[in-house]
Amino acid sequence: MKPLICAIWLSGFVLTAFAQSPSSPRSAAAPATRQITDAAGRIVSLPPTVNRVADPWPANNAMVLMLGGADKLVATSLQARNQPWLRRLYPRIAQVPAAFDAAGGVNVETLVGTQPDVVLMAYGGSLPHWMDAVDSYHVPVVMMPNSSLDGLKTTVRMTGEVLGEHESQVAAEYIRYFEDNIRRVTQVTSKLPQSERPRVLHTATPGILVVDGRESVIDDWINVAGGVNAADVVGLGRPVTMEQVAAWNPDVIIVGTAPNQQNRKAILDDPRWRQIKAVREGKVFVNPSGAYLWDRHSAEAALQVLWAAKLLHPAQFANLDVNQETKRFYARFFHHVLTDSELSSIMNATEP
Amino acid sequence: MTRPRCTVFLILLPPALLYASLFVGRFAVSPIDVARILFAQIFPIAHDWPKSVETIVLQIRLPRALMAMCVGAGLSISGAAYQGMFRNPLVSTDILGVTAASGFGAAVALLLSANALGLQLTAFAFGLAGVALTYRLARIYQTTPVLMLVLSGVVVAAFFSALLSGAKYVADPESRLPAITYWLLGSLNAASIKGLAMALPPIILGSLGLLLVRWKLNVLAMGDEEARSLGVETERLKGIVIVCTTLITAAAVSVCGMVGWVGLVIPHVGRMLVGPNHRLLLPATLSIGASYLLFIDDIARTATAGEIPLGILTAIIGAPFFAYLLRRTSATWH
Repeated sequence: MKPLICAIWLSGFVLTAFAQSPSSPRSAAAPATRQITDAAGRIVSLPPTVNRVADPWPANNAMVLMLGGADKLVATSLQARNQPWLRRLYPRIAQVPAAFDAAGGVNVETLVGTQPDVVLMAYGGSLPHWMDAVDSYHVPVVMMPNSSLDGLKTTVRMTGEVLGEHESQVAAEYIRYFEDNIRRVTQVTSKLPQSERPRVLHTATPGILVVDGRESVIDDWINVAGGVNAADVVGLGRPVTMEQVAAWNPDVIIVGTAPNQQNRKAILDDPRWRQIKAVREGKVFVNPSGAYLWDRHSAEAALQVLWAAKLLHPAQFANLDVNQETKRFYARFFHHVLTDSELSSIMNATEP
Repeated sequence: MTRPRCTVFLILLPPALLYASLFVGRFAVSPIDVARILFAQIFPIAHDWPKSVETIVLQIRLPRALMAMCVGAGLSISGAAYQGMFRNPLVSTDILGVTAASGFGAAVALLLSANALGLQLTAFAFGLAGVALTYRLARIYQTTPVLMLVLSGVVVAAFFSALLSGAKYVADPESRLPAITYWLLGSLNAASIKGLAMALPPIILGSLGLLLVRWKLNVLAMGDEEARSLGVETERLKGIVIVCTTLITAAAVSVCGMVGWVGLVIPHVGRMLVGPNHRLLLPATLSIGASYLLFIDDIARTATAGEIPLGILTAIIGAPFFAYLLRRTSATWH
């Protein structure tokens, strides 16, 4: 019995040593010739060309696809793989190993095993706890902003820069398009007096009442689109009381988390919501959702500002055809021509 | 306090707090308007207040306040009954695993995006199933020794906690995960009239059951053998107490998530006021528990523009208070 145990024990050591050998020298040997300053203020050295990208961030997976670098994805998260529209636009995402979990953790062995040149992450104010473990394998980690419309442009620019020449060009093209859309909307909305800006409540999540407050990407697009965020709290997904919602008494309610339609119905069916102005006046809407949730830090934020502006000020944006813009956007940036039923699936936030 | 004064105080406290809770909040409503809105439900008087004010008072505050009272009262009387039955002052209502099992049920419902009532029902059913499992595990040769009950409770709670962690692990971090997390922290925000109608019967039934057997709990608190020698069928009594407390706790957890410390601390407050005799202790805990949770929930919903999770407040206020009680009564609990 004893020699057998010893043998198993020893073979374990040998196997571990072999398992580690291919990745470590390879990464260590790669010469770092490029440098990028990330959202956390760190100066990160990158290999001259990046061909293998690990990216757990679902919204950014869609951006990588948009920039033309999706074939470089070697590791992602289960959440990114489960985005229905991302799977429709890029079926291979379902085969990319999910090295990352929902809570932002990572299986370091899986990650290193995929031999990424770089890891792209959303920066929420702190570095991931596994940073040291990944650093020891000489895999650079680039943190990117995740909390405002301005930050979104930075994220697209940085993602392009990390991925390469071609992707950088698409990123620049997207940023021009994004800024054009913002300008197109703010030209009109910046002239609106405070009294003509509807008070918008952006709410989410089944089972419990949470709203999206100030200092967030959601607050940004509400302001751009000529509204005021009714939720006087700070940050995304803050739990509030029903009574507080009644006190805010929003003019418009936008339901923003899957299953959007079902959550909208829950609001309309609930007697406690009946006296809220938006419900009385039939102004409860479902936020569109595509490769990622439009209302979040997504590529489609460029469309979100158009959609929200038209929703809040239909008269001022009478000749803005959001459906047409949407079709054009997906054709131009995702190389996918939407059918009418696909378009309606995106606008109604249902699965394709 | 003398006995009669104490009784009057305990009877009047909950209704007084209930009335106050109806005009305290982020949305200004005067006490007079509240009184008129309440009267208008029974007597025909002119409705000259805005409809939105009536919605706030009757649809939002009243169900929530009543729910807080029921949950507080239910958890407290269950805690008192368990502390007597297990002959241990550190026992709380979740000792047989009901909270962990309900929590997992709720997480499953949230993962499947069930509506509020579906969530409540699933959490309730899982709570009952969890305790049934504990009871089955603890049963040896027609008896359920206290030690076996406690150990089985630990096993079942650990098992469901692991399942709950698994549910959180697979949950979508943008939508489902925050919902599960906030739900577990405890909140009465989902309280509606329908929810109240569903939670009330088990809580009332369980409380009535406990009140009916409360004098026998005194005998059980002396120990199984002593109780048997005094002619109490201990196994049946334990069964009744477990069924009643489980009905109450599962209903309470299913409606407001994990609210700790109420079932542990309130029975001690009750003993300070009326002594260890269960005949007086159980009704007293009903009143104190109802008032306590109502008061805490008023803070939860008014202190900030957001909602402070109930579980945080009950622990932050409950734990130091419990420490104070420990120092004061220095372990003479019965």
